[in-house]
Amino acid sequence: MIQRKLSIILENKPGALVRVVGLFHQRGYNIESLHVDPVEDLKEYKFVEDKLNIKLKEGEVSHLIIATTVNDNLLRQILRQINKLIDVLIAEEVK
Amino acid sequence: MKLAGNDILIQSLIEEGVEYIFGYPGGAALHIYDSIFKQKEMEHILVRHEQGATHAADGYARATGKPGVVLVTSGPGATNAITGIATAFMDSIPMIVISGQVAKHLIGTDAFQETDMIGISRPIVKHSFTVDSAENIPEIVKQAFHIATSGRPGPVVIDVPKDTTAPDKLFEFKYPNDVNIRSYKPPIDPDPRQIERAVDAIIESNKPVIYAGGGAINSNASEELIRLNEILDFPVTNTLMGLGVYPATHKRFLGMLGMHGTYQANMSMHNADLIIAIGARFDDRITNTPKLFAPKAKIIHLDVDYSSVSKIIEANIAVFGQVKNALLEMIKLLEVKKELIDPKKILPWKEQISDWKSQHGLNHEMHLCETDDKPIMPQAVVQHLYNITNGKAFITSDVGQHQMFAAQYYHFDEPRKWINSGGLGTMGFGLPAAMGAKLAYPNDEVICITGEGSIQMCIQELSTCTQYNLPIKIININNEALGMVKQWQDMNYGGRHSASTYQSSLPNFVELAESYGHVGIKIEKNSELKSGLEKALSMKDRLVFVDVYVDPNEHVYPMLVAPNGSLKDMWLDKETKT
Ligand SMILES: Cc1ncc(C[n+]2csc(CCOP(=O)(O)OP(=O)(O)O)c2C)c(N)n1
Ligand SMILES: [Mg+2]
Repeated sequence: MIQRKLSIILENKPGALVRVVGLFHQRGYNIESLHVDPVEDLKEYKFVEDKLNIKLKEGEVSHLIIATTVNDNLLRQILRQINKLIDVLIAEEVK
Repeated sequence: MKLAGNDILIQSLIEEGVEYIFGYPGGAALHIYDSIFKQKEMEHILVRHEQGATHAADGYARATGKPGVVLVTSGPGATNAITGIATAFMDSIPMIVISGQVAKHLIGTDAFQETDMIGISRPIVKHSFTVDSAENIPEIVKQAFHIATSGRPGPVVIDVPKDTTAPDKLFEFKYPNDVNIRSYKPPIDPDPRQIERAVDAIIESNKPVIYAGGGAINSNASEELIRLNEILDFPVTNTLMGLGVYPATHKRFLGMLGMHGTYQANMSMHNADLIIAIGARFDDRITNTPKLFAPKAKIIHLDVDYSSVSKIIEANIAVFGQVKNALLEMIKLLEVKKELIDPKKILPWKEQISDWKSQHGLNHEMHLCETDDKPIMPQAVVQHLYNITNGKAFITSDVGQHQMFAAQYYHFDEPRKWINSGGLGTMGFGLPAAMGAKLAYPNDEVICITGEGSIQMCIQELSTCTQYNLPIKIININNEALGMVKQWQDMNYGGRHSASTYQSSLPNFVELAESYGHVGIKIEKNSELKSGLEKALSMKDRLVFVDVYVDPNEHVYPMLVAPNGSLKDMWLDKETKT
C-alpha cells in the first residue's frame, strides 16, 4: 500500500472540517497528515466552478489535503463517503 | 409578517406540513414550547422519555414516508434522544430533531444543561445545523427537510440556542419556496448505459434472484418492483428491512434472507448466477462471511447512495439513482427486448428452488392446534395474529426472538406495514414506534409484537398512550428471558445463561397495564390463545396488553452458521446443520 493524497474542497463553515476528520475516525481510517486553507485565489479553482456549475467567492470554501495509506478499494470507499458529506463540494485523489 | 424566533421556527414547521411533533420540554426549549401553545395546526405529543419521542417520530416516518419531527431540550433531553437518532440513521429514516441549546453567550462555559449536541450526534446524523440567528431559521428548516427526505434519507439535527428563539426580538418571516444546496445533489435518474447493461445481464441469466431491501421502500418502489417481476417472473427475497416491498403471499416470494432467513432464500442467493440488489446494502446479517458470499453470482446493484455500492460486495453493474426511477427504466427497456427473454431457461432453477422450499421451508401451519399439556409456541402467536388480522395490520416490533418470529410468520403484502429497528437493533423501539404509526393511521390496526425484555425499555410510554388515547395492541411474547441472548448462550457458550434471566422479578404486566388505564390479558394455555387474541383485537378503542407465556426453550431457526460460514451453512433446528 502506498500513501495517497486526497484533495477536498468544502464549504468554509463552522463544523465542516470536523465532519471530514471525524469520518476518518468513524470508519477506521488513519490520517497521516492534514493541511487546510481558505481559498482566496480563485484562479486555480475554476475546475470546481466548472464541475458544479457554480460561482465561488473568496474565502467561501476551504481546500483540505489529507494523506492516508490505503488500497484502491478503500480509497474509492473513502472518497465516496467524503463526497456524501453535505458540506463537501469535491473530494478526489491528487495524482 | 414580523415574528419572533420561536414563532418563526414553529411557522416553518407548519409550512413543511408537519402534523405531529413528538417532544419533551425543558429550560432551553421553553420559548419554542410557548409558540407551540399558541397555534393549532400541529399537535404536540408529550412522551414520557425523549427516546420515546424519537422512536415515535420514527414509527410515524416509516408508516407514512413523511419525516418524523422531534423537539427536545438541551443537555439530558438531547442525550436521551441519541439512541433514537442512531436507530433512524441506521435504517435511513427521515427525521428532524430540534434540540434546545443554552444561549449563544453561554456556549463553551459548561453552563447548566449544556452539552455539545452537534458533536455527540455527528456520527449518527445525515447532517446537522446550529441556528446562529432567528433570521436564518426558515432557510435552515427548509434545508433540513430537504436533506432528511431526499437521496438516502436520514435524521437531521437542528440545535437551537435559546437566545435565537427569544420572544422579544422580531424578524421578517418569509418561508422559502425552494431549496438549492450547491454541495448536495443526490442522483435521481440512472445512467441509461448502466440500465442497458443490467437488462442484458438479466436476459443472459439462468439462476437469477431479486434481493430487495429497505431502500426500495424508502424510494416507494414497491409497485415498480411488482411490475418488473410481472415481466421477469424471477424469485424474490426481501431483507428484514424490505419485508412488504414484494408481496409475501406471491408465489415467487422466497421469504426473508440472511441470519434468520428461510432455507430457500439463503440457498437461492448462494447458488444464484445473478443477484439484482435493489436498495439493499449487503450488511453482515445478509452476507455471512463476505468472501464466501454467492460465489457464482454477477451482481447488479441499484442504489441512491454511491457509498453503499461495492462497499462489502463488489458490484458488476452499478445503477445509481432513485431505485423507483431505475426500475421504471428497466421495465421500459425490458418491454422493448421482451422477445429475448426465454422463460423456459430458468425453469430448472425454479424447480430447484421449490425443492429447497419443500425440503426445509418454514411450516406456516405449525403449532396452531396444540393441546394444553404443551407450552404455547411463539410462532403460533404470530400465526394467529396474522390470521385474525388478515395480514392487514401495521406490525411494529422490538429486538430478539419475538422480532424474528414476527418477520418469519407474519406475511407482509404491502410496504411500510412492518416497522422494526433492523440496523441498530434497538430494544424499546416497538411501543413508541406503534404510537407514531397509530397517530398516522388511526383507523388501522397497529400491533406491537414485543418481548418482556424489550417492552420494559420504553414501558413508560403506556402513559402517553393513555393521554392521547392510542388504542394499540401490545402482544408480549413472554419467554421470561432475554431469549435471543439465551439462544446464543445455548449454542455458543455451553448453555451458561449469564445475565439473561430475571429470577422471578418480572412485573405483573396485566396489573401494570391496568394501572395506566389500559386492559391487560394474560394467556398461559394453548386453548386460550386464539380466543384471547381475538378478544384483545375486538376492543377497538382500548389499548390492550396481552401477556402470552410461551415455551422458554424455543430457538429461532434457520440460523446462519457463523463465523466463517456462507449463506448455505445454516442450523435448521437444535440438532441439524445443512
Ligand atoms: C438496547 C439494547 N440492549 C441490548 C441488546 C442486545 N439484545 C438483543 S436481543 C436481546 C434480548 C431481548 O429480550 P426480549 O425482548 O425478551 O426478546 P426475546 O429474545 O426474549 O424474544 C438483547 C438483550 C439490544 N438489542 N438492544
Ligand atoms: Mg424475552
